Amino acid sequence: MLNLKRKINNMNLVRFRFWFQIVAFLIIVYGGYVGLDLGDKLPTFACVYNSEGTGGKCYVGMLQHDLKHPLETFMGFAGYAFLISLAMFIAWFWVLNKGWCGFVCPLGTMQDWLTALREKLKIRFSEYSWANRSKIKSIKYILLILLLIIPVMISNSIGGLPKLPNGLSMPFCDICPGRMLIPAFTGNFNQFYIDFSSKTDLVMTILGMMIVGLFLVGSFIKKRFFCYFCPMAALQYIFSKPALLKLYKDGAKCTKCGDCYRACDMDILEIADDVTSKNLVTEDCILCLKCIAACPEDGCLEANFIGITIFESSKEGFILRMAMDMQKESHE
Amino acid sequence: MNNINHNIESPKEKQNRHKAMEAIKLLNTLREDFKAPISSMEYFYDLFERVHCKHESLHDDKTKIGTMCIQIPSEIIYALDGVPIRLCNGFYTDDEIGSDLMPQKACPLIKATVGHFASGNFTDKPDIVFSPTTCDQKTKAGVTIESFGYKLIDIDFPRTKESEASREYWRRSVKQFAVELSRFQGKKLTRTSLKNAIKKIGYAQSLYHKLSEFRKNELVPILGLDVFLVTNAFFFDKIDNWIEATEKLLSELEIRAKEKITVSGKASPRIVYTGSPPIFPNYKIPLIVEQSDAIIVADETCSSNRMFNDMVAVDEWNIYDMMDSISDKYLKACTCPIFTKNEDRIRRVIQLVRAYKADGVVYQAFAGCTVYEMEQRSVLEAMEKEGIPIIYLESDYSPSQGGQLSTRVEAFIESLKNRRRMKK
Amino acid sequence: MNYFVGIDIGSTAIKITVTDEHKRLVGFKINASGSMFYKYAKETLQSLLDELHISQDDIAYTVATGYGRKLFKEADENISEITANAIGAQEAAREYGEIKTIINIGGQDSKAISLDSEGNVVNFAMNDRCAAGTGKFLDVVAMNLEIGVDELSDYHFKSTGTPLSISSTCAVFAESEIIGLLGSNHSVEDIVSGVHYSIAKRIVKLVKRVGIKENVYFDGGPALNAGLVHAIENELGKKIFVPEYPQITTSFGAAVLACDAFKNMPEVEREF
Ligand code: SF4
Ligand code: SF4
Ligand code: SF4
Ligand code: SF4
Ligand code: SF4
Repeated sequence: MLNLKRKINNMNLVRFRFWFQIVAFLIIVYGGYVGLDLGDKLPTFACVYNSEGTGGKCYVGMLQHDLKHPLETFMGFAGYAFLISLAMFIAWFWVLNKGWCGFVCPLGTMQDWLTALREKLKIRFSEYSWANRSKIKSIKYILLILLLIIPVMISNSIGGLPKLPNGLSMPFCDICPGRMLIPAFTGNFNQFYIDFSSKTDLVMTILGMMIVGLFLVGSFIKKRFFCYFCPMAALQYIFSKPALLKLYKDGAKCTKCGDCYRACDMDILEIADDVTSKNLVTEDCILCLKCIAACPEDGCLEANFIGITIFESSKEGFILRMAMDMQKESHE
Repeated sequence: MNNINHNIESPKEKQNRHKAMEAIKLLNTLREDFKAPISSMEYFYDLFERVHCKHESLHDDKTKIGTMCIQIPSEIIYALDGVPIRLCNGFYTDDEIGSDLMPQKACPLIKATVGHFASGNFTDKPDIVFSPTTCDQKTKAGVTIESFGYKLIDIDFPRTKESEASREYWRRSVKQFAVELSRFQGKKLTRTSLKNAIKKIGYAQSLYHKLSEFRKNELVPILGLDVFLVTNAFFFDKIDNWIEATEKLLSELEIRAKEKITVSGKASPRIVYTGSPPIFPNYKIPLIVEQSDAIIVADETCSSNRMFNDMVAVDEWNIYDMMDSISDKYLKACTCPIFTKNEDRIRRVIQLVRAYKADGVVYQAFAGCTVYEMEQRSVLEAMEKEGIPIIYLESDYSPSQGGQLSTRVEAFIESLKNRRRMKK
Repeated sequence: MNYFVGIDIGSTAIKITVTDEHKRLVGFKINASGSMFYKYAKETLQSLLDELHISQDDIAYTVATGYGRKLFKEADENISEITANAIGAQEAAREYGEIKTIINIGGQDSKAISLDSEGNVVNFAMNDRCAAGTGKFLDVVAMNLEIGVDELSDYHFKSTGTPLSISSTCAVFAESEIIGLLGSNHSVEDIVSGVHYSIAKRIVKLVKRVGIKENVYFDGGPALNAGLVHAIENELGKKIFVPEYPQITTSFGAAVLACDAFKNMPEVEREF
């Protein structure tokens, strides 16, 4: 038992995560071909537009759909349906908490691949300036609110405003990079189009195109560029507290060395500087566990699943992962 | 019988003899006065004897890069094919020389360092010196040292470590340092050389951590004094030799731990040592502590733990990220008292007390070291709150003064023993 | 022929020096002082005069000095050992040069004396609180090392390693330190040179209190130990002058003073 624990703590997280993400990607993007269907409440971008391949469906898409009801029906069966969907989403989410982002989300994985490519090319990553950093944080909530309100406003007139055009029925999907990129992996490029049928569609599809471009360029130069703005992350965070998988910190053991912060793709300062909180799953955290792997203090950071430590920082593990365990020189 | 024909020593010879006498005195004490000596420590005793008594130089063939504090990244120095030599000095002989050049109340470490430069008497003379702007005295000492004709470059070090601005600032300083050094060496920093240097130092650090692990044992197999010597050797030793010797030491400790050989007594209280750094041969306070039947199990000083504890973590093994990692490590993890706030240092001491099951803390400050003297209050308060016994001592490099200090230390250690008995 | 006598009654020894009218040394004698200063002093003087074939009547003037000077009632005059030391040193080093600083290591104390250009004592410092750094201490060291005091010098110059310093300022503790060093098989040579340097450092500190001015004169019994002289010279960074008979400088000074005093006396008084 002890030995197993030690093995886990000593694991090469980068490799583990790389393969885990590939498997998850295969399931989500190609699972449909082998009849896999994880339902349509997944807390990750399993895109509905990838109709044949997808091994499940994205809840953000579902959510917009669920909300597009006149108030009357919403007070009735549609409302129940909405609540049940939400409950199922939460149930899924609680299993992995933000780990869905760090290990499963295909958009997240794609960004990591672009990051790996950049790293191979020895190009430095860029960072958001600290002044802008806090402003960026609120964007995902704004997007979330918009994607919640717009569908409602299609079917209802709120505060006497006119109803919105039907072209906006899936407002976030229109601009979601997943809509174009995920189906593309199954050879389906149908989503790369500009819809001239109405003005709204025209604007939204052009915006969508631009965002895909931004996504690709952005996440090449900035790690997890898109995740900072992702409304899925905002939605998830609302329910994060009671989730089963946790990132815990024992502040007493922390030296504030900042090694964890340096490893964090989301530039989360708290992970290093907060020495009083226990739960360190912050709003932007993608629970990638890179911080744990980069922390050299025994038992300072840990991933905890229903009270059981499944992976924790250790000196030994750190040294192994940094390849500082032996005196060998590399000549490249 | 009249005036005997012999030559009088030159000032340099005299200084060497004085230092040799200081050195051998401590080394003999370490070799002989304690029970269960460790045979692989002989490498370190011998190393210090070779350098300080026989004046052997170790790095004839290399460029020697003098550093004035731990914040100058050794990784970059090794990557640029230099040898870092940390110039913090513990000799009373040099302290006396420096006293004529510095204010009376200056810190003895600075006086000794300046005195050393003033005498120009080095076994491995630094070809260039980098001085980070840490404490006021070190910062200002740079000018004095420069006036003796040394090439000295100041490296801007921020004194608030919390802010992101200071992170940026320090990263720039480190880059500047790399540029200066690379120009001086006429070499380019490459990805491979930096990576190798990081890994080598990381490996040395991992050995230190293994060494520390043994000190957590109930039966401590190694003296705190010996550990101070091992870490001090890292200031100037050839890193490969140091690594080899420490590996040997570790395997001996392994055996000792199995055979339950200990250097401490049955009731020896376990001590965490913090404050101004004990630097060879000024082991005055640790010596008193360990000669009074206590054992130092951990420390929080820049000549030992602070130098080894925190390791560089790299995410992307390219120069840009390695440089940032190095910079951050030397700033963010540092618990030097020169920073504005220093909660981290207090937390570190408490954590050490817990992890090493210490009975008490010995806090010593050099008379003249304002920053450690000032921080004493907050540390004492914090320890009181935690219920950790602590004693505060002020000392200097002079060989006298021993009696009073040892009486105080003995009383403290006896009180710790009493506490233990009461608990049982 | 008139002779002059200087008697130095110290705590460990009685030293008597006889000079002629030209202040030239005629003879000297050293004896342990013991409990009966007065008796021993008289006996010593008598045996010295016998050796030199000088009768009591030829003694023109006697000056006593040292701790026990007041007890020797036959003296025509008595002076402090500081003054006597200063006068003796200047006379002994007349050919060498002007003495400005005197180091004296006695049996149980050590002194540093500073003189002005006229030879007057302007400052002095003394260490009489403990035996470390005195002749007595060297005796103890030699005894513990099981060698003779006169061999210390040879051992000193044979030392090849780093001198092993003794940190205790107290002779008793120093003794146990030395025994400890011997126990761990350190070479006697390095211990001896270490002891010498330890004494030398202490002495130099004392001298620094009065100021070091050239030339420096070193007397007292331990000045016979060339190893110690070497150590002090190194610590001072200066050559020092050691007279031929360093043990008797003070009594010699007293005799010199006796000579001067006699010459300055009005003719009539000389008869008595
Ligand atoms: S377009 Fe985006 S939000 Fe819409 S279903 Fe696809 S992945 Fe989900
Ligand atoms: S935050 Fe990133 S990883 Fe998480 S769902 Fe959004 S795009 Fe995917
Ligand atoms: S890496 Fe670990 S010790 Fe360092 S700041 Fe992060 S949590 Fe603290
Ligand atoms: S805090 Fe840790 S788990 Fe969260 S995103 Fe950063 S590195 Fe990943
Ligand atoms: S001991 Fe104090 S004053 Fe001396 S160098 Fe260190 S921090 Fe500065």
